[in-house]
Amino acid sequence: MTAAPASGRDRPAILGRLAGAVLLVPGVVWLAAFFLVPLAIMVVISFGALDANGHVTLANPGFQNYQDALQPEYVRVVWNSLYYALVTTILSIAIGYPIAYWISRYGGRRKVLLLILVMLPFWTSYLIRTYAWMIILRDNGIVNSALQAVGLTNEPIEILNTDFAVILGMTYGFLPFAILPLYVSIDRLDEHLVQAGRDLYASGSQAFIHVTLPLTMPGIVAAALLTFIPALGDFVTPDLLGGAQTTTIAKIVQVIFTSGRDWPGGSALGFLLMIVTLGGTLAALRTLRREVLAG
Amino acid sequence: MSRQSKPVVVPFDEALQRYLTVSGISRRQFISRIAALGAVAAIGGIVEACVSAAQSPSPLPATPAPTAAGAATAVATATPVPTPIPSPEAELFVYNWDGYIGSNTVSDFSKKYGIKVTYDKFPDEPTQIAKLQSDGKGGGYDVSYPASTWLPSFVADGIVQPIQPSLVPNLANLAPEWQNPGYDPNNAHSVPNYWWTTGYAWDPAKLPGQYSAWADLWNPNLKGHLGMLDDMREVFATAAFQLGLSPNTVDEGELDQILAKLEVQKPLVRIWTDDDIGDFESGQLWITHCWSGDWYQMTSDKPNAQYVIPSEGSIRGNDTMVILSGAKHPIAAHLWINYNLDPQVSANNTNEIGYMGPNAAALPLIDPTIKNDPRLNPPDSVKAKLVELAYLAPADLDKYTKRWQLLRA
Repeated sequence: MTAAPASGRDRPAILGRLAGAVLLVPGVVWLAAFFLVPLAIMVVISFGALDANGHVTLANPGFQNYQDALQPEYVRVVWNSLYYALVTTILSIAIGYPIAYWISRYGGRRKVLLLILVMLPFWTSYLIRTYAWMIILRDNGIVNSALQAVGLTNEPIEILNTDFAVILGMTYGFLPFAILPLYVSIDRLDEHLVQAGRDLYASGSQAFIHVTLPLTMPGIVAAALLTFIPALGDFVTPDLLGGAQTTTIAKIVQVIFTSGRDWPGGSALGFLLMIVTLGGTLAALRTLRREVLAG
Repeated sequence: MSRQSKPVVVPFDEALQRYLTVSGISRRQFISRIAALGAVAAIGGIVEACVSAAQSPSPLPATPAPTAAGAATAVATATPVPTPIPSPEAELFVYNWDGYIGSNTVSDFSKKYGIKVTYDKFPDEPTQIAKLQSDGKGGGYDVSYPASTWLPSFVADGIVQPIQPSLVPNLANLAPEWQNPGYDPNNAHSVPNYWWTTGYAWDPAKLPGQYSAWADLWNPNLKGHLGMLDDMREVFATAAFQLGLSPNTVDEGELDQILAKLEVQKPLVRIWTDDDIGDFESGQLWITHCWSGDWYQMTSDKPNAQYVIPSEGSIRGNDTMVILSGAKHPIAAHLWINYNLDPQVSANNTNEIGYMGPNAAALPLIDPTIKNDPRLNPPDSVKAKLVELAYLAPADLDKYTKRWQLLRA
């Protein structure tokens, strides 16, 4: 993958490689200090236990916490998390693709402005935006007031604290993560290829399905990963917009850490989740690479 | 460079004693010397507190307190002083429950003493405990408000530091039964703050029936309108009282019974809430498990809201003001505690948040609608049925957490 040309320009190539290594240093240090070290601490703690005073002790390290983390009751909770993440991902791409397509094809001179608008919500804390949704969706909120004002319902409809509210909130929150990679892949697409398809008597939809969609597939996969992975571990949205009847695995981790004050137990479950997510992502990427190479 | 240039954090009393011994001056001379230096802001209050404590046995200063600014001006006119140096005690970091103090208390304190208060709030107890324990000395805060049940463990872990009674003359305002509480003999490491009962509140406009027992929260009619506190111990207690069990039980069989009881209720629950007041006022919940003072705050929005201390028995508790061992502003922290024990300040807090305090001197100043309401200030016959939640060792707490996870899953 090294881009340095090998032909008779050894010294500049070496210098280039050296410069590259130097440029990598800040990133590597950053990742090591703020990602790898905390992760390592978490893994170490996950093999520990609590002493009589509630302090973490590594006196008798073992796999007890991992055994505790594999409760059959958690299957339903993991399923809830997967369900929320899957639906959110599908919706984000279904809604995001047309938006990205429109900005790329018809945005014209306003493309940059439109992309800034997509990112505009990031200027406010996600937590505050989720609280805003609570105010909008609650029983005496704007939506219910409007429904009652036009006579569609007499009693408030239960919107907040339902699966619907959680998926709405998550889709809203993760949509920009889907739009941006989709935009990049659509914008890079050579329009002449689509025109060539049309010249060969493909209808508009045929050209889209056989030319545009396959060529923007990397963008779709990137969008799916960027949405699905954080959605799987999302804690804030289900906690604030969800109700008592549906619990996600992130909430269980939080309960172990807070109500249980059991850091080793919470670390073990958290680390297991990370491994599963990482494994799933790598598997998805490998499948994709094979398909792209084959196609 | 003089030794002044190197600030070292040492326990306040030790530092003060050392300084006084070394310089061979009295406490009062010391304080006026500090004042002359211009570090008036924080110390001015201590002067006032100490002087009034020394002059009269009454904890109430006879004369209005000189403000920090006033004191500074007085000093400035008396002797020409160099530019005042910023006092190391001119800041205070407080960590308390949301909605748990009078709305003017913080700003009034700041104005009076010239101390900049950073007042952070936590939504639930586990968050607070995790933060205070994070570095073993209070997570960077000077003052926090742990429940009394935490005191023995906090003292053992060295998370809190001893209270210096000489700096808190208003301790004399505490009612006799609060002078020597079981969780912290002689209030050596804490000062009692407010006390509460646990019960539930409901909106009679939506739910006209009679509610008097925990068992009423198991009524299927409540489905979709019922809130329970997102508080493991409190939720387990609601079932324990119905089953005639102790809310502090650590018996696996009894805890299984409690879990089974709660599983029956779960389909009715709309949310386990951290914000019982907000969720009740916004109409999400028609009936919610809550603490007594929270109900009082709900009545400002829904004046007809009702509250009951359930007939099967319930929880009572109190919380405390503590100074954390990592406090960088121990003098300001003592000042804050003393200020909050002031009869008028204490009464202002209670009148706003509805929680009764241990402050006997404040009693005449408390709104009669609070003081005379048996739901906020229950008679002894009701108090006899109230139980305090006990601290649980990690192994026992784990029995609760495992079942709480199963209930939530």
